[in-house]
Amino acid sequence: MSSEALVLATSAALFAVGAAGALVHRHPVAMLMAIEIMLNAANLLIVLGARVRGGADAEGAALVVLVLAAAEAVIGLALALALFRRKPVPDVDAAAELRG
Amino acid sequence: MGPLFLPLAVGCAVAIASALGVVVARRPVYAALFLLVHSLSLAALFGILSVAIVAVGQIVIYSGAIVVLFLFVVTLLPSGGRELAAGSGRILAACVAAGVVIVALAAGEAAASLPAPEPAPDAALGVAAVGHALFGSLLVAFELTAPLLLVAIVGAVVIWRRHEPTPRTAAPTRVSEPRRLVIHR
Repeated sequence: MSSEALVLATSAALFAVGAAGALVHRHPVAMLMAIEIMLNAANLLIVLGARVRGGADAEGAALVVLVLAAAEAVIGLALALALFRRKPVPDVDAAAELRG
Repeated sequence: MGPLFLPLAVGCAVAIASALGVVVARRPVYAALFLLVHSLSLAALFGILSVAIVAVGQIVIYSGAIVVLFLFVVTLLPSGGRELAAGSGRILAACVAAGVVIVALAAGEAAASLPAPEPAPDAALGVAAVGHALFGSLLVAFELTAPLLLVAIVGAVVIWRRHEPTPRTAAPTRVSEPRRLVIHR
């Protein structure tokens, strides 16, 4: 097994673990953490591509993905806290309505 | 199999184990700490792959900012992070979905004919090359991250203030009460 195949397999496994976590959990913060794992898996794949192909563009894209993850965490955690105000033990399935 | 295989294998094992810890942990504090370990192991993987600037960004942005943000929110949780139990059907469905994802990714990987990787020279991945990429071909995306972060901050404040239970207009009357008492004395 080459190093590239190992990192590829790790990335796929991390994405699957994150997807399973996002599906299992009903706690919004736990769901967000699982989504962060999926983002990290994608970033690992981008970095592997940058390494194999020698592209600095992909490396810059990995940095942009990090910033995107930060923005996603800010909005997601604000939504989670807004959900906690309505119910102390929240269920993401219960929040099914939008109100402007 | 190169000389970097063993460190890569260790880093990958730690990353997968800590990711499983994030998903399995029952209390959000432990999940956030596992997320910290996961982020640090990924930074180590990036370092082993000699993509140093992304490794530093991972440590500064992920471990330093995002995980700490998660820890702050966990401390703000009113119920200490209690969670409704997941049903067995839900767990089964999630495992099936994860298996489908793994099979699909493996099939795609097998179908794609990967060319033999040529080892990239380290100069092609250095800080100067990344800087040229960020201010060259990635300029639009790079500049758009600034308004993205600004909008995210403003959006978080708006989401929080919209649900504020009491308006902040009752304060002046409360201040005037004790002053009247003092005058009557």
